[in-house]
Amino acid sequence: MSEPVPNAAPAPAPPRDRALGVFSRYPSALLLLVVFSVEVGVSMFVIRDVRTASVEAQQMYARSVLGLRQIGELQYQAQETRRSTLYALTTTDSNLQVEYADQSREADRRVTEGIAEYLKQARMPAEIEVGRGLHRDWSAYLRIRDEVLASILEGSAKEAVDADLSGGVPSFERVRQDLEQIKRLYDQQASEQLVRVGASSRRSIVRLVGVVCFTLIFATFAVWAIQRSRMLSAVQFAKLQLEFVASISHELRTPLAVIHSAAENIADGVVEGKEQLARYGAVIRNQSRQITDLVNEILLFASTRNKKNRYTLRPLQVSQIVDLAMENTALLVQEAGLVVEQQVEPDLPPIVGDLSALSHCLQNLIGNAIKYSGQSHWICVRALLDAARKTGNREIQISVQDRGIGIHKSDLPHIFEPFYRSPAVSAAQIHGTGLGLLLAKSIAEAMNGKLTVESKLGAGSTFTLHLPIPQQKQPPAAAGARRRDVVAQK
Amino acid sequence: MPRPTGRWLIIGVAASWLLGVSYRPARAGAPGPNEPNPSRPSLAIIVNASNPVDSLSLEELRKVFLGERSHWPNGRRITLVMMEPGQAERQTLIREVCQMTETGFRQHFLHGLFTGEVFVSPKTLASPVGVRKFVFNVPGAIGYVRANDVDSSVKVLRVDGRLPGNKEYRLRIPPAAAP
Repeated sequence: MSEPVPNAAPAPAPPRDRALGVFSRYPSALLLLVVFSVEVGVSMFVIRDVRTASVEAQQMYARSVLGLRQIGELQYQAQETRRSTLYALTTTDSNLQVEYADQSREADRRVTEGIAEYLKQARMPAEIEVGRGLHRDWSAYLRIRDEVLASILEGSAKEAVDADLSGGVPSFERVRQDLEQIKRLYDQQASEQLVRVGASSRRSIVRLVGVVCFTLIFATFAVWAIQRSRMLSAVQFAKLQLEFVASISHELRTPLAVIHSAAENIADGVVEGKEQLARYGAVIRNQSRQITDLVNEILLFASTRNKKNRYTLRPLQVSQIVDLAMENTALLVQEAGLVVEQQVEPDLPPIVGDLSALSHCLQNLIGNAIKYSGQSHWICVRALLDAARKTGNREIQISVQDRGIGIHKSDLPHIFEPFYRSPAVSAAQIHGTGLGLLLAKSIAEAMNGKLTVESKLGAGSTFTLHLPIPQQKQPPAAAGARRRDVVAQK
Repeated sequence: MPRPTGRWLIIGVAASWLLGVSYRPARAGAPGPNEPNPSRPSLAIIVNASNPVDSLSLEELRKVFLGERSHWPNGRRITLVMMEPGQAERQTLIREVCQMTETGFRQHFLHGLFTGEVFVSPKTLASPVGVRKFVFNVPGAIGYVRANDVDSSVKVLRVDGRLPGNKEYRLRIPPAAAP
């Protein structure tokens, strides 16, 4: 599955197509991921904005509304302090006077506590200043109130009235003004908070609208991309199928034409002599075998797709696999006039697999190397023992190397796809079904192995079949004696 | 009209009879009515917490409660606070401090205010709590309550150098008057 000449290599796929290719492979998962991500993003935005607005509203309520309520309560209690004091003036009953004095002191205690609470909560300099002023004025009023109360209880109503008029009224007026100022401060803060909450709310709405628009655009684009990728995939698959049909037709027509003409010659009596007849017979046999091989490959692919292929697994010597594959491809090698270098390490441990399948896999790789070896006319088949880097498990590696035309980087991800043939290869009239590498890979995976490729354009390719070595080592003699057939469902 | 000698004789006999009726010899070991008795509840004399006076003699206290003193040493006017007639605390104060009867006490103030010998008219309150609150509110006030009705809002005066908890404290409420 390589390209014939470097200058015929197709241009790399554009990034958009590559992205669409990714979409085409995992459309549902990607769609779910996109929808989930967008939903999470939108939810986070919404939660953050709602929380911010809620916190701001709570702060506004706590600082302004509750503050105004506190100041209202302070005003009421301050009035109650003064009212109770004045009530004491209206009676001469000492018991009632004491009761009024008690009420006045209870109210003033609440005012004093309220002022202390206000000072504790005050943060802005203006608040602290007016709070301190209120504390000072209230203390001054209380001193006069105590004098007034004492005079009332002593029975000196005139002294009480004089003290209240001269000191109590002005000092209470100052307290009232302080409370009004605090109220104005709260009003001002409430207005500012309201403006801030309004601005925050507008910001949140703008953000939400933006996020919703972005989500809609993004979702639309995602749906479009998925649909487009599916359409492209369908088109590509149809194209591949057409190419496959054309290729198969061509592959069938050529040997059939040869057989047909040979048969006509024999029928027309053109062929004379036993020797010529034998040559025609050999031609017909070879062409028939080609057709049979082709049909077998297609049937194998079909069975692979239906997952009905069954393999008989048993301990195998690596040399058995290599020898069988080399034997089956000897005629091809001979016809192509290639030099095959064979390097099989001695005393390799046995592997477990299906001899026929593994041989078929290796034949496919050798066949490809023959087709794409170009002018070098050289291929190398190696078998060696290697330790896998990640797991540390040992494995057998059987590689087929050629020094041919190599594979373009953009074709590498697709060479194991069904019916895939590089446009450059098709253009170079190198025949094939686009199934060989897929079958080889399927067989490798069915044997718990894998098939890898390394290639450089113009320098050649190396396909390597990795086969794991069973954990429990068996003596070679015993392994050969005890045939253990394992049926694996692929 | 009897002769003056006979009149004095009748008065002398009557006085002797009254003395004989009223005299009861004290039992051995039991304190007399004017003597300290630790088992009886004490009567605490209370003043405003700002009052500089801490202690008074019984005689000074008598003068204060009879309205014969008008001001405290700090210049504050003295305001007397009494409980209503019939209360055990009032009876005890009038008897033990003023050494008078209820009637005599009333007559003293009526007469004194009329003649100008008494400077202060007492305020009358219904309950010990009222007395305490009055004293708390008025810097020059002085009143009395049972020792267990006292709290930190007022100051308790020493009488003859003793506080209500002292065994020798003299102002105690007799059993008949105690609730």
